[in-house]
Amino acid sequence: MMHHHHEYMQEGTRRTTSRTQQQSKRHKFFINDNIDILREILKRLDGPSLGVASCVCRLWCNLTTKDDSIWEHLCFRHVSTPPPASVRPVVVALGGYKRLYMVCVRPVLSRLGESEMVRKQVWTRHEVQLSLSLFCIDSYERLAGGMVASDAAASSLIFLCNPINV
Amino acid sequence: MEIVSDSSSPSKTKDIDGLLANVGYKVRSSELHQVAQNLERLESAIVNSSSDISQFASDTVHYDPSDIGNWVDNLLSEFDHTASLPYDFSQLPDLSAPPPQHHHHQSSSTVNNVEEDSAIKLVHMLMTCADSVQRGNLSLAGSLIEGMQGLLANMNTNSGIGKVAGYFIDALNRRIFGQNNVSHQVSLYENDVLYHHYYEACPYLKFAHFTANQAILEAFNGHDCVHVIDFNLMHGLQWPALIQALALRPGGPPFLRLTGIGPPSPDDRDNLREIGLRLAELARSVNVRFAFRGVAAWRLEDVKPWMLQVSSKEAVAVNSIFQLHRLLGSESDSNYHSGIEMVLGWIRSLNPKIVTVVEQEANHNENGFMERFTEALHYYSTVFDSLEACPVEPDKAMAEMYLQREICNVVCCEGPARVERHEPLVKWKERLGKAGFRPLHLGSNAFKQASMLLTLFSAEGYCVEENQGSLTLGWHSRPLIAASAWQAVPLLDAETLRFDC
Repeated sequence: MMHHHHEYMQEGTRRTTSRTQQQSKRHKFFINDNIDILREILKRLDGPSLGVASCVCRLWCNLTTKDDSIWEHLCFRHVSTPPPASVRPVVVALGGYKRLYMVCVRPVLSRLGESEMVRKQVWTRHEVQLSLSLFCIDSYERLAGGMVASDAAASSLIFLCNPINV
Repeated sequence: MEIVSDSSSPSKTKDIDGLLANVGYKVRSSELHQVAQNLERLESAIVNSSSDISQFASDTVHYDPSDIGNWVDNLLSEFDHTASLPYDFSQLPDLSAPPPQHHHHQSSSTVNNVEEDSAIKLVHMLMTCADSVQRGNLSLAGSLIEGMQGLLANMNTNSGIGKVAGYFIDALNRRIFGQNNVSHQVSLYENDVLYHHYYEACPYLKFAHFTANQAILEAFNGHDCVHVIDFNLMHGLQWPALIQALALRPGGPPFLRLTGIGPPSPDDRDNLREIGLRLAELARSVNVRFAFRGVAAWRLEDVKPWMLQVSSKEAVAVNSIFQLHRLLGSESDSNYHSGIEMVLGWIRSLNPKIVTVVEQEANHNENGFMERFTEALHYYSTVFDSLEACPVEPDKAMAEMYLQREICNVVCCEGPARVERHEPLVKWKERLGKAGFRPLHLGSNAFKQASMLLTLFSAEGYCVEENQGSLTLGWHSRPLIAASAWQAVPLLDAETLRFDC
């Protein structure tokens, strides 16, 4: 009786294993098939991690470089009250959220973050306004024509780069 | 220096200082430094002496003044006071401080002392030279210049007093040899380039623009038709930020007109119009209705109010960044209005909602040359100090050239050619008050924005201060730029302001 029981058990296990294997083949979750979820995850990354993410594969690269909403989220995640809807068309017209982040928000954040006043990493509308103003000047200088590369900051914003210990 | 032959002591002739020998004093060149120091000590001892020195006066006849070294030594021994330098160096920022030396630690103390001594001597010589220029003693001034140039050759001219002194020596040189108005007429193009680098290298222009914009933005609250008059358009760098802020204001943007004043362009180009087109494109991209008009004039006095085409339905803002002081040197016209009175008068006739004025916080408009020179030396030393911290080349070098032209103008020029007639805020307050304006407080938003802007500059040393509604930007507690806002006092019934022609 024990012998039969044992054989019965073994067969049962074999059947269960093959069933789970088939199940996993049918319902295996692949992140690249679910772009909305991917986007939600990417939105919550910080700047450097987004940079790393863009190197993973072509899909991720396209998402991070072409999808501005991810960068919009990154730009304003520190803001205590979300900016009004009128901001988006202005930012898009001036060059987009990715550029806003790379050229203004990131340097301003890092520079302000160094000062003792703003360690709390929460922005008020003042910091937002200042970043937007600087971004606008950058956009205007690029209008002046072709002297700067597309990702480099325009000349007047160079003071935001390379903090030097004086 | 001339060698004076002295038949009584031929072996020592080469050592005697020629300049002093010409006026009757015998001093060995090697002892000049020591004698000079002792003279200073004597002077300060006499000046600071609280006791009766009349007996001292009678003692001096016992000593031979032509042997001035010994004479001073003897007189000094009559005093018990401790020495102090005649000029109060505690007020000169960093002038005698040696430049930061990262590599020499052990030997730095001796090097520092030598550098400090040279710096002090250099400043002394600068003052003496300026004084002799004021007295008209150009030959003494000339030889002092040679002396200073010699001193500079052994000093560090990359920073600190060496660098600033170099510019001032150069300016004095130009003044003495009459190169006042000719040498530094840069072309408009060069001026543009220098201005742009000055904009990038230091926060002064940015502070001016951002503070003025904030005040203008607040003044335009609730108005749908607004008109900004810019007294010096340059590249129009002030206006993108205002356009963007207006685009995002709650309630939507107004119709913005901008009138930019600037010098006429050479050749067939129309620089003003090009800047206007660029600003228009920016405004269009953010959906702000925009119109631009350029007014070309060499001087602000030549602008007439009708050229600005101000309509009564619009809210007007007049923006003057470092322009008003240029009017202070112009002569009065036939109606006995000086340039500044005339311009302030027609500004008032436009009934502006706000007039933003940013000026250098310095007194470079005294009639006395010596006072002007001293003030300018203090002021520009501080400015150059703040530039030291700028990490970006070639911006820094160009910014220095931009400032050098200002220095030259303050030191070399007189009359209408001297346009850099900076005056401190208290004087502007007086002037604007008399012209019928009352101050508007700049508010906490402007202050916060300015503070934040300064935090972004890598140099720590800039400070923003609020002073009765106006903001000043300074370096280590010396204010350098003052921004203020004004509103026209409503005209009384009997008053009319007419500016025809």
